[in-house]
Order: sequence, then structure tokens, then C-alpha cells
Amino acid sequence: MPTSRRIRLTVNGKPHEVVVEPRTTLVDLLRGELALTGTHVGCEHGVCGACTILWNGKAVRSCIMLAVQADGADLMTVEGLAHDGQLHPIQQAFMEEHGLQCGFCTPGFLMSVYELLQRNPNPTDEEIKETLGGHICRCTGYQSIMKSVRLAAQKLKASSPPGPATGVS
Amino acid sequence: MAVEIPKSLADLPTSTPRFIGKAVNRVEDPQLLTGRAEFIDNVTLSGMLHCAILRSPHAHARIKSIDVREAEKLPGVVAVVTGEDATRWSQRITTVPEKWGTYCLAADKVRYVGEPVAAVAASSRYVAEDALELINVDYEALPAVVNATTAAAPDSPLIFEEHGSNVMLQRVFTWGDVDAAFAAADQVFTEKFRWNRLGANPLETFGVISQWDTTDGNLTCHGSFQSQYHMGLGTAAALGLPSNKVRMISQPHGGSFGGKGGMRGTVITALLSRKADGRPVKWIEDRMEYLAGGAGQSWDRHYEASLACKKDGTVLGFRVKLLDDLGATAEGFGAVSAAKPLTAFTGCYAIPVAQYDLTIVATNKLPGSPYRGMGPPPHNFVLEQMMDIAARGLGMDPAQIRRKNYIPPEAFPYTIASGNEYDSGNYEAALDTVLKMANYQQLRAEQAQARQQGRLLGIGLVNTIEPGVFDWNAYAIVGMQQTGVPEGATVGIDILGKIVAKIGFSLEGQGQYTVITQVLADYFGVELEDVRVVYQDSLSAPPHFGPGGSRLGVAITGAVLGAAERVKEKLVTVAARLLQSDPQNVELRDGKVGIKGVPQASMPIAQVAGAMLARSDLLPPGMDPNPEATYVWTAPGRTPADEQGRAKSYLTAANACHLVLVEVDAETGQVQILKYYIADDCGTRLNPANVEGMTQGGVAQGVGAALLEEYVYNEDGQLLTSTFMDYLLPTINEVPMTEKVALCTPSPFTPLGAKGVGEGAMHTTPAAIMCAINDALVPLGVRALEVPASPHRLWKLLQGKAKS
Repeated sequence: MPTSRRIRLTVNGKPHEVVVEPRTTLVDLLRGELALTGTHVGCEHGVCGACTILWNGKAVRSCIMLAVQADGADLMTVEGLAHDGQLHPIQQAFMEEHGLQCGFCTPGFLMSVYELLQRNPNPTDEEIKETLGGHICRCTGYQSIMKSVRLAAQKLKASSPPGPATGVS
Repeated sequence: MAVEIPKSLADLPTSTPRFIGKAVNRVEDPQLLTGRAEFIDNVTLSGMLHCAILRSPHAHARIKSIDVREAEKLPGVVAVVTGEDATRWSQRITTVPEKWGTYCLAADKVRYVGEPVAAVAASSRYVAEDALELINVDYEALPAVVNATTAAAPDSPLIFEEHGSNVMLQRVFTWGDVDAAFAAADQVFTEKFRWNRLGANPLETFGVISQWDTTDGNLTCHGSFQSQYHMGLGTAAALGLPSNKVRMISQPHGGSFGGKGGMRGTVITALLSRKADGRPVKWIEDRMEYLAGGAGQSWDRHYEASLACKKDGTVLGFRVKLLDDLGATAEGFGAVSAAKPLTAFTGCYAIPVAQYDLTIVATNKLPGSPYRGMGPPPHNFVLEQMMDIAARGLGMDPAQIRRKNYIPPEAFPYTIASGNEYDSGNYEAALDTVLKMANYQQLRAEQAQARQQGRLLGIGLVNTIEPGVFDWNAYAIVGMQQTGVPEGATVGIDILGKIVAKIGFSLEGQGQYTVITQVLADYFGVELEDVRVVYQDSLSAPPHFGPGGSRLGVAITGAVLGAAERVKEKLVTVAARLLQSDPQNVELRDGKVGIKGVPQASMPIAQVAGAMLARSDLLPPGMDPNPEATYVWTAPGRTPADEQGRAKSYLTAANACHLVLVEVDAETGQVQILKYYIADDCGTRLNPANVEGMTQGGVAQGVGAALLEEYVYNEDGQLLTSTFMDYLLPTINEVPMTEKVALCTPSPFTPLGAKGVGEGAMHTTPAAIMCAINDALVPLGVRALEVPASPHRLWKLLQGKAKS
């Protein structure tokens, strides 16, 4: 067994120092030792998007990254969105537009939408589709997700939301 | 004691319902949006081990020996099980048809690629998977039987030697004088169709944690069980345990669509737990395991169909011959999907006679499982193509031939040839709605213009039935015996007037907790926040099934309303005493219990419930002081099947009319969906957002079925589509944003007039898209008869045309 490595990383604004096997995937570190189980594993081969998190502000698939790659990184997961029992405006928009059913893929969608609206507060439908095209939802048929993202953009413009725990270093 | 379940909103003890029928925010959502829902892989138990499963690389092989000694020595490994343990400690898994099952781990031979052969419990999944590499299995390869026609032949290699044949079931069901109808026809249209394997693929795979306490013999399983009750019975049977020793705890699950079976995984982890001295053992199926070895493959079908017609378009009879390739065993209960078409065999049409020539055959592929729609989606594809073929043959418009044959609104309740009874409907209204939405004549004009430019534009127009509120009797022809599917709920009011509903299913995505909350808030005249829905495990909840067969919205509404009625009766009895009146003069209305017609002589339900629980001195003598009651709802009027499989089975018949405009790219065979319109009638909508979500989600799965999704096996029985790179699920770029109109023909038979609606669009969309594609191909004189109509398949069809 290869030697374990000590790594330091920040997740949702909180610093962590952990020892991991080189083969441990990033999502297994998050869900296992860090107990952040909101990030879900849907395919484990980088297609479905359920495991999407933010890596230094960019949406990545944590199932096809190794934990050791996150040494020094600033990560944000779905747990970083809501604060003190208050849903983030994106979450609120998904609730109001019924943008989820089983909710398993939802954390991944939320993180990609968060990234999209950070860099582009006024996305066109085509731009929204380009972002959502990297995610599979088996329940909703996407129509309500589309509406959710449009509403989320409006909500974010209308209010200054609680700042992200982290995500951009 | 008989309970009168409210049949319409007007029957509720509420002047104006505030929540039922509204798209209220779902009570499920905050925990799902924040990632806090307790999906099975989020559950960790003390001392828990992790399981990995070794699977067969062969489609068909004898197991000569298995050597697990090296695996057992690996640090971190606690237990290893093989077929030897399975035969010692468990039984063959229950199947329909009967006796086409195996042990949870292959004992003598393997019958499909991906079949479990051995399993390891270790300190982590990583170590467990390391250990699999140390297990040595010596196989003797046998000839693989992959083709259904070959498998059905008498000289085929046998998958179960003891049966002497691979044919699991072969029967012809005849409903009425079919020969006479075909003899009387002006024209008979016949065609062959192929529907390839596809499947559910919920975003969460199956997972389970089993803990078998060998001292008291209790087995507890946490898992993503679609029906915990039935998984409990199956697990008890497989392990030879009394049913009350098996407790199933259903975690919220990330979708199911029928494809959340996990009998093997549940039994395997139970065996590992037993071997590991009762430590809990978790198994999370990974996606490649799901694709190759899970409950994700359905409907591998070869069809031949005939329609007998008069010149004026009247359909006199319908014949279907189906060769259904179920795969290696019948353990997935996929055979019920061959039976379910009986519930709506002739669709929306008043076709008086029909015949079903059904053969179910075993091959060396993954056993078939249920998938949303449970069999009618391919059947509807066949029926609706036949209607279009007939229309073209008779020179009619697709709308015209359908209109000619619809069951008229005044004919309900209407018994179809295959025995089921439709409760209500107005199919012509749905058709007219869609034609108007789409501006049909204009669309046809556009199509004519496009054709002149050499573009392949096609319109699909399909109206189907969604049989709702499933019943076991619908599957009698494959061996299901029961009639009725009970669903129970307990409803109580606490000492402070807050309401709790206890039910036997967990979150799956359809929003039923929200529906329960809406129904009870309106019934008792309280706010949504005053109602809480609490999950109970398989031994705690009243008899239940949970979601499946488009039943739960109707069934759970019946259950909670029945329980609420019983609570109401208690409240009225107590309030009458407190108000010194006769119970006959007391009623519940808008959250208060009081004397009829005397608004000032009333008290809030909280006050009555509080008196029941805290002022026994005020209660009538002998009064049950618990403001709580249980009711178990089951569909009324169901009948056992006759010898031809005919029964009053599914209680409701929702219907939907879809119109889709597609363009087929003549160069590439790519299909683009340009427009999509839906008129949908599922009776009373308890929560329109839930219905809309079910419909749109069904459209997406229908698009996948028609254009993308296919499990491909090669001639050796190797699965060639074992990742999401090869098995293509629809993304937002393939799924059309649909325009929808809701119609309402309430059911006369159900609580509040609602109809089952979880599967509707899946019944309709594949047929509609295929009709549209074939409409586009008319100028070329070719027909797309195979699903999915992938670019490659259509391109080949177009190329063949170009050559000829």
C-alpha cells in the first residue's frame, strides 16, 4: 500500500488537515472523513454531475479527482450554501419552481448554477443550458430546473445574498 | 367499521380548501436542497463493514471451483461469502414465473455477465475491492444464449437445465371472437417491431446495510427500498426467517422508477453480517454494477401486430404477438411487465376484441426488472404505430382515425376487451385541446412546405391511457395471486393540537409527503406547518406498499382521509359531551368541532384533543382517549382474474394526448424535437406542480427511450454499454420544454376524484416520437420499426433507401 499523505485544504471556509491514502477520491474524503455527505455519487465516472463541487471557485467533479490533488485548495460543497437555517437564494428558487424531485442530483446542479451565476449574473437560456448540459437529472425533465435557474438569477440580483462561505480564493 | 372517504373536495369538512390543488412548496425540499436527506450511503452504523461483490465475467459458465483463502488473509477483511454459504444459509430468490430463480450468489453456474459470485466484508470499500482481486474462480465456459428466438428453439443450450427449455411462459390469450373480426375486416395491417432493452437508471443506485443478530435471529436492513414491505417478505423468504424477524428501514432514495431492486444485495449483505458475527455490512452498488448487474434493464421485446379495420377506419380487432426476452432469471419481477399491457391493451380505443400471443424466454442477459410504465410503453408504441399505419393505408389523417375509434365519454365506466375497467375520460377533448394548442392544420401546411424543400418533418399524435393505482390481479397471468394492495396511515392530533401522520414509505421524489400535508391541513383546517409526516419501518407502519404503479397519490390520500375520518368521529363524540349536545348535531368544520349551525358553540380541534389526553374526567365513559386512528385503504371493486387474465385491476385510467413535431436529418439520421404539446387528464390534481413534474420527467425518459437509451450485448453476452458514456441518458439538450394544458375528468371511484399519474408521459412519449419519425419518413416509403431510433439506425434506413 502506498504511503499515506498529509494534506491541508479549506472546505466551506473551514480549514482541515487530514491524512489520506493517495488513491482516495476527493468525494470519498468529503463524504467520509469530513462527513460532508451532501455531495452525492451518481456514476463515479464523471458523467452525471451529481458530485460537483467548487474548486477554487470552479465547478469540478469530485468523483474523478483524488483527495491529494486538493492539497492547498479552497473547496465549497452544497453544505456551504445555506446559512443558519436560511436557504441560499438558489436553493430557494429551486424550491419555489419545483426544480427537484428525488433531490439526489440536486447538490451537483446547485453548485454548477452557483458558479454560473457568480461569473454571469444574467445568463441567457442557451448559457444556462450549456451549464446544465453537464448534469443528469432523471426525475424532472429539466423544465423546472430551467425555470429555477432563471428565478435564481432574479433573486440574486434583487437581494444581496449571504456571502459564500468560500469558493474563491 | 365502514368509513366514507371524501370523493370530492366538496365532501371535506372545509368550506374552502386552501392547499389541495395548489402548487405549494414541497415539505421534502429543504432537507434535499441542503444535502441533509439521509440517503443510504449517508448512513453509518457503529462497527459497520463495507461490502464489495465479485461478478461473473462470463455470460454462461460452470463454476468449477472458488478459492477465497488469499482474500480472507488480507488485513481488514472480516468475512467472505460464496455460493456455498448461500446454499447453506439461504433459499433461491422468489420469482414470477415461479422457479426461475437462483441463490443470491451463483452456486453451480453463472447465467449472465455481472452475476454475483462472491462477496467480501472489510474495513473499507477500498480494502473489500482489493480482496476481490485475490479471489480465484475457475470457470468452464458454456455456450451463451443471447438471441431470444434462438433461446426459444428446442435445441438451444439451457439456462436452467431442470426446465428442459428456456421458455418461461407461453400462452395465447383471446378476448372475444378475434378470428371473426379479422375475417370481417376490409383491410388487415400487419407489421413487426423491435423494442430494445433500456431501463430505469435512477441517479442513486441501490444500497443497503444489513445487520443479522444471530443471537435473537433478528435481521434489520436499512436500504433504498422502493417497497420496504415487499423487500422484507422477499428477504425473509430467501433467508428462511419468520417475516416478523425481518425489519426493513427505508431511507430516502434518489429516485427509483421501478429500478430499485436489491434482493441479491440485501441477502448477500445479510449473509456477510451473519458470518461477521452480526456486524452491520453496507453495500452501495456502483454505477457499473447497476448497469451490468442491477435492476436497470427492462423490455427486450420482439413484436408482431395486426389491426383489422373497416374502410371507414373503424378498428375491429387487434392482435399482438410478443417474444419477451426476460434475461437469465425471473428474479427481477420483470415478467409482470409483460402482463401489465392487459390493463389497457386496446388503449383509448373501443376495439371490441383482441388477442395476445405471449412468449417469455430466458437468455444469458441480466434479468429484467420493472421500469416506469411497467410494460405498456413498448405496447403503446406498437399499438400507436399500427393506428398510423392503418390511417395511411386507408387514406385517413392520424387524428381522424383516432377520433373514429375513441371510447366515447358517455360509455364510462368502460370494460375493455382484456378485462380492465376504465373509470372515466374524455379522449376527444384531449385530442381537440392538443390540436388547437399546436395549430394542427398550420403545422401540416408547414410540413408540406418542408417536404417540398426535401426536409423530413414529421408530426406524431398519440393519445394513451395511463392505468393508475396498480393491483396485483393485473399480473395474474404470470403468477401473481393477490387482489388488492393495502396502503395504511395513522393520523393523530397531539395534546397541543399538532398533527402527525405516520406512513410506511420514505422519500422517493414524487412529493407524497407534501400531498399528505396538504390533505390533512385542509381536512383539519390548520396550516401546512401544523402537519408533520413521519416515516415508519416495515414492522411499525400499518400494512403498506409505498410508491409504484401510479398508485401512491391516490392510495395514501385514501389512507390519510380514512384515518382522519376516524379521528373526526372521536373528536365529535368528545365535543358533543363537552358541548352537552348529541354527536349527531356536532360536526367538524374549518378546524373547529361544534354544534351544526351554531358557530359560537364550537371549539378548536386542539381543545378537543387536549381534553381527550389531559381531562379524562370530561370524557364519555369507556371513551378511547387517543385522538389518533389508523386506516388502511385498498381500491374498491377489484376482481380476481379469470382464466384469460381478465380482471378489474388498475382502478383509474388517466389519459394524455401528445403532439410532437420532429425533424429527421436526412444526412445524419439525427432526430430533433422541434415542438411538443401535451393535454393531460388525471382527474383532480392534488398538487399540480407534482403532476407537471411527473409529466415532464416522463417526457424526458420517453425521449431517452425513443432516441437514446439501449443496453447492447454482443453475441457472447458481454455488455457493451456499461457506462454512462455508452448508455445515453437524456440531458437538457435532448429534452424538449413542453407546452401543457390540464384537463379534469374526475374519477368516480377514488378519494377526491384523483387518478394515478406517475407514469403517464412514459406511456405516451416514445410512441409519439416514433409516430413523428415515421410521419417524417413517409415520402421515402420506409418505416422506423426499432426503438431507439438512434442516428445510426435511421441513417442505415435512409442509406438503404438511397441505394434502392
